[in-house]
Amino acid sequence: MPHELILTAIAIPVVLVNRAQQTVTYANEGAHTLLNKLFNTKRGVSYPNIKIILHDHILSEDESHVTTFETRLPLHGKKADLWLEVTVTTMIWDSDRHSVVTLTDISERKTKELDMIQSLEKEKSLHEMKSHFISMASHEFKTPLTAISSTIDLLETKLQMDNLLDQFYRHNISKISSEIFKLNTMLDEILTLSTIVSNNIEVKQQPVDVQQVITDIKYQYFSERKDERELDVKISGMPRTVYADKNQLSKIFTNLVGNAFKYSAGNPQLKLQYLKHKLVIKVADNGMGIPAADMPYLFNSFYRGSNVAAIEGTGLGLSIVKDFVERNNGTIFVESQEHKGTVFTIEFKYTPETAAFA
Amino acid sequence: MTKTILLIEDKPTLQDTLKSLLELYQYNVILAANGAEGVQQARLNQPDLVISDIYMPVLNGYEMLEQFKQDTVLRHIPVIMLTAKTEIEEIDMALEKGADGYVTKPFVFKNLHTIIKKFLP
Repeated sequence: MPHELILTAIAIPVVLVNRAQQTVTYANEGAHTLLNKLFNTKRGVSYPNIKIILHDHILSEDESHVTTFETRLPLHGKKADLWLEVTVTTMIWDSDRHSVVTLTDISERKTKELDMIQSLEKEKSLHEMKSHFISMASHEFKTPLTAISSTIDLLETKLQMDNLLDQFYRHNISKISSEIFKLNTMLDEILTLSTIVSNNIEVKQQPVDVQQVITDIKYQYFSERKDERELDVKISGMPRTVYADKNQLSKIFTNLVGNAFKYSAGNPQLKLQYLKHKLVIKVADNGMGIPAADMPYLFNSFYRGSNVAAIEGTGLGLSIVKDFVERNNGTIFVESQEHKGTVFTIEFKYTPETAAFA
Repeated sequence: MTKTILLIEDKPTLQDTLKSLLELYQYNVILAANGAEGVQQARLNQPDLVISDIYMPVLNGYEMLEQFKQDTVLRHIPVIMLTAKTEIEEIDMALEKGADGYVTKPFVFKNLHTIIKKFLP
């Protein structure tokens, strides 16, 4: 019978099942070898063996209907499993419903797939661990940092009350405290960058009163300075809200204003210009400026201007600022002249009417 | 008259330093190492102002604020929070729970003192 010869010659395991009589009509050499590995079927393939493979898959009554599924079965006498891809085709022969069951050993592919999933998950959890570690470490660093800065405050206050705070103490105490706050800024930047890099950052946009954000950061970070410099804020136009992430806006302005204090000697200026269709924010200083050659790379991570080697910094601030401005659909550009000063200009659109009451 | 400040902070070094600083400014200072102790001390001593950390064992700063605001006697005492995180959500959360002021760690004592003076002129 030529059909049977073909089936015998095929290396893929094939089993023919009579569903009405619940018997195995035929199994080729490949099927015998494979099923022997699973069920130790030395005396031939039986219907219950096939029932186990089919498990609870419902087979169609329709002729030529094909069902395909993957299944995992334990190897006989071994502590290992075999993955099978099972294809069942229904056909009617001699007025009985038969199933042609093709079995493909896909263990190798499956093992690779599982390995891949496992290593992806491992990588993901390592990644999470890393960003969790950075976040935890930066917060933990703040505890001793706070204790140090308060102790310095205590020494200064005591010296002052005892009339011992001369120029020498004042100068050196202010050095310690300015280094503490630089270290704190670096920690904040590393923490922010780690959330950006791990893509854990969420943009929670809502109507934001930028004027309020500026007032908050001015009070929180730029008041009571030891050098008595101040941030000059000027507002023009009719105030309106912008649709942005408040936290990110606050980080943008804290960074730009912080830079303006850091790289100049006078009072930095912050202008809020509420124009007809957009809010223009300018942060200006009359400091050392940025060399023209550095301008194209200014917003790159870890890039620092060639004239700031003597001033501490991570080179992360502006890259974070740009990322946050763009995440909030804003634009940023910079104009600068060496020894004259720098102006950063940021533009945001106002809260659209549809989102105003969201 | 000497004003009494209840300082709730679990880190001994910071607790000690802040106590000394406040005493230099002539405040009477009572200490607590966590929110639960804080609530207890507040009921016992009726301080004029509370300065509290947020992340503490037993009862954290937020939970402590909740207990303060539910207590008819304690709810009128101003509370200043020391927040370790500069995330605005943290600060908003503290204010929402009823904090009257905050400073972010590390802070300049002058800033904290300015807020204290607002409540204890």
